[in-house]
Amino acid sequence: MPLTLRATLPGGQILTCFAAFALTLGQVFVAAQTPPAATRFHLSHAAMGTEFTIDLYAKDQSTAEQQANVAFDEIDRLEDLLSNYRPSSELSRISRDAGNGPVVTDPETFQFLERSLFWSQRSSGAFDITVGPLLRVWGFYQHGGRVPLDTELKSLRDSIGSEKITLDEEHRSVSFKNHHAMDLDPGSIGKGFAVDAAVRLLREAGVQSALISAGGSTLYAIGAPPGESGWIVKVEDPRSTGITAATVLLKDTSLSSGACTQKFFIKDGHRYCHIFNPQTLRPMEGVLQSTVISPSATDSDALSTVVFVLPPEASRQLLTSMPNTEALLFRGPTPVSDCIAINWQGQPCSPNHSSSKSPSQEKGN
Amino acid sequence: MISRRQFTQSLSALAVSASTGVLNAATEASSIEAAETDAARQIAPAKDSSPFRLGIIGAGSRGQELIRSFLRVPGVSVAAAADVYEPRFAQLNRICGHEVAPHKDYRALLDRKDLDAVIVATPLGLHGEHVVAALSSGHHVYGEKVMAYTVEQANAIVAAASENKRIYQIGHQYRYSPWIRAAVQRVQQGEIGDVTHIIGYWHRNNDWRRPVPDPSLEHLINWRLYHQWSLGLIAELGSHHMDIANWVFGEYPEAALASGSICRYHDGRETDDNVQAILSYSGGRRFIFTSITDNAKMGDQLWLYGTKGSLNLTLQDATFFYEPKKITKPVVAANGKDEGVVTSASYNPSNEMPYRGPGKPVDVSTAEDPTTAATRAFIYCVRTGTSPIADAKVGLGSALGVIQANESLRLRKEIPISSKA
Repeated sequence: MPLTLRATLPGGQILTCFAAFALTLGQVFVAAQTPPAATRFHLSHAAMGTEFTIDLYAKDQSTAEQQANVAFDEIDRLEDLLSNYRPSSELSRISRDAGNGPVVTDPETFQFLERSLFWSQRSSGAFDITVGPLLRVWGFYQHGGRVPLDTELKSLRDSIGSEKITLDEEHRSVSFKNHHAMDLDPGSIGKGFAVDAAVRLLREAGVQSALISAGGSTLYAIGAPPGESGWIVKVEDPRSTGITAATVLLKDTSLSSGACTQKFFIKDGHRYCHIFNPQTLRPMEGVLQSTVISPSATDSDALSTVVFVLPPEASRQLLTSMPNTEALLFRGPTPVSDCIAINWQGQPCSPNHSSSKSPSQEKGN
Repeated sequence: MISRRQFTQSLSALAVSASTGVLNAATEASSIEAAETDAARQIAPAKDSSPFRLGIIGAGSRGQELIRSFLRVPGVSVAAAADVYEPRFAQLNRICGHEVAPHKDYRALLDRKDLDAVIVATPLGLHGEHVVAALSSGHHVYGEKVMAYTVEQANAIVAAASENKRIYQIGHQYRYSPWIRAAVQRVQQGEIGDVTHIIGYWHRNNDWRRPVPDPSLEHLINWRLYHQWSLGLIAELGSHHMDIANWVFGEYPEAALASGSICRYHDGRETDDNVQAILSYSGGRRFIFTSITDNAKMGDQLWLYGTKGSLNLTLQDATFFYEPKKITKPVVAANGKDEGVVTSASYNPSNEMPYRGPGKPVDVSTAEDPTTAATRAFIYCVRTGTSPIADAKVGLGSALGVIQANESLRLRKEIPISSKA
């Protein structure tokens, strides 16, 4: 199986090339940029309801810890800023007060909301940070799960929908058109936002080779391991345990996945997914996993939900205008079980493609 | 210069009566309510959105966080910054979303006539110089804690604020936390009886270092690790807890006893990587602070111990716990006849076990970030000419505890505390 390199060049263009060439090119870059004595360290930190990890190359453990701590501190800061579980967060303040009138916020939070609304608009509402009440009424905040009555769902209509949020760029303020509190949920974009911020600080701290992971659902690769042309990332085929659907070499770009394989509940034999269709107010059905590659972790995180919720043709149409972005979607088990690749380099959906080979074996292809 | 007596008088709204018996209960309750009404007014969402231009001296990590909070106040913008480390300007521009006028010399920033207030967030050893200069040049100041590196400098700041009739607010943002205010008010009203001991933990598990792009920048970036600018963990972490102890006990501490060592990070640092400090208050009351940097089990939390219960304070919540009642009801013998008592083994190990059940959380409707509330309150105070909750007297109180605890740590003996240098 050919292994393709995803790398973002300055200006955001993605460099794609086949592994044989990429390895040669990568070795030239690495020889010039990474100290030969660099050692790989793996560091982890609990935040945002998951475990963030950083694999990075540094000259010693102390340096690795200092560099990783800068990133982890930044992730903690953004959790304080955006958590909807913490009443003291800036996002909670906005959720609580913006129904009473405009709430002025800081540029960073405003930018977060702008990007969130951008993806809501681009996805025709498939992505929506106002779904907090849905997760609450379906019992996902309590880690239990329940099926609400139709009347309960109907009563939430006035509390859900990004079109109810007004952003005033001149005054940097947020207000809600429905004039009452809302429940903004950063769950489908916040981890990506935090990863981007951590990446920025790691680069400023001089890190040239690192892989940042937000619980495995959003990844960003800074540079490549010494002697390699990218960080190896395997995308599992959710239809078959242990089977790798695609293996990519990630370099200076991000990859995010959305899946119903971990966060769900089963009621009367039916599996209810934690990813919602804001239009129907119900959990998504018939989609197993989405994976998106994009230069921005914020965007790949949001787009993994967009692609999960939109019909495949709508996703294809949306991503057509984003040449730097790739998506891989698995549907099933009913009504259809299939694999859909959009802009994806390689052929992960071809019948003979799936592989469980180890990365070292694949690199020999 | 403010004496302890003056400070105590100025805080008559607080729990002074518990130890002095000066105020009667009605007056005390009324004063507490008045103080809370004033605090609520300062913390309330801003209605005024008139332009307000800030300058900042010291745009490092804490300064940047303050800027983020200030930019949540309607009308506030950042016009100028002073820093000796060039990369800070680009970082600040990114946070503000526009170019902020850079100054390499803080005096050039203070010469500007277009600033409504100045933030001082430089290393501690520079607070005295920068804050006094800012106040003396006619600027209102939001100053990061600790107020100053020496008692002389702290007194100079108190004097400069008073003489120039400028507002000075110290960065003790815990005083602006809705849940901490609500909890302390209940303590002042006697909910956990007489508070005799407060224990503050701030335990971390990291080396407190920042990455240094070039070895020549070590002291500039990791200033907290060197005596020239830093009073170490007692200052950077313990000062917040000391301020709460002063608030709850209603007075400045009388003496400080501290110890510390470098037991984990033998990396050339000068300030200790673990400290223990005891501040003494009137009536034998004690505040105890501990900070270690190689185990984070305890995190950042305060425990207030009273005769009727305990209060746990964190950066996200406050929780009350209550002592078992010692007297349940009067014993009435049946038919006036004493039935006697039944003997048993006296040893009951559960009596000495720590309580591991739930507490009673303090419920507040607006549990916003304390720094966001504190910065908004500062803008309110400048716009309206109101004296801040965390004013110079509050700043002096915790500064005295920090400075003399460090002196005790250095001399290995207890140090009496006086605001007189």
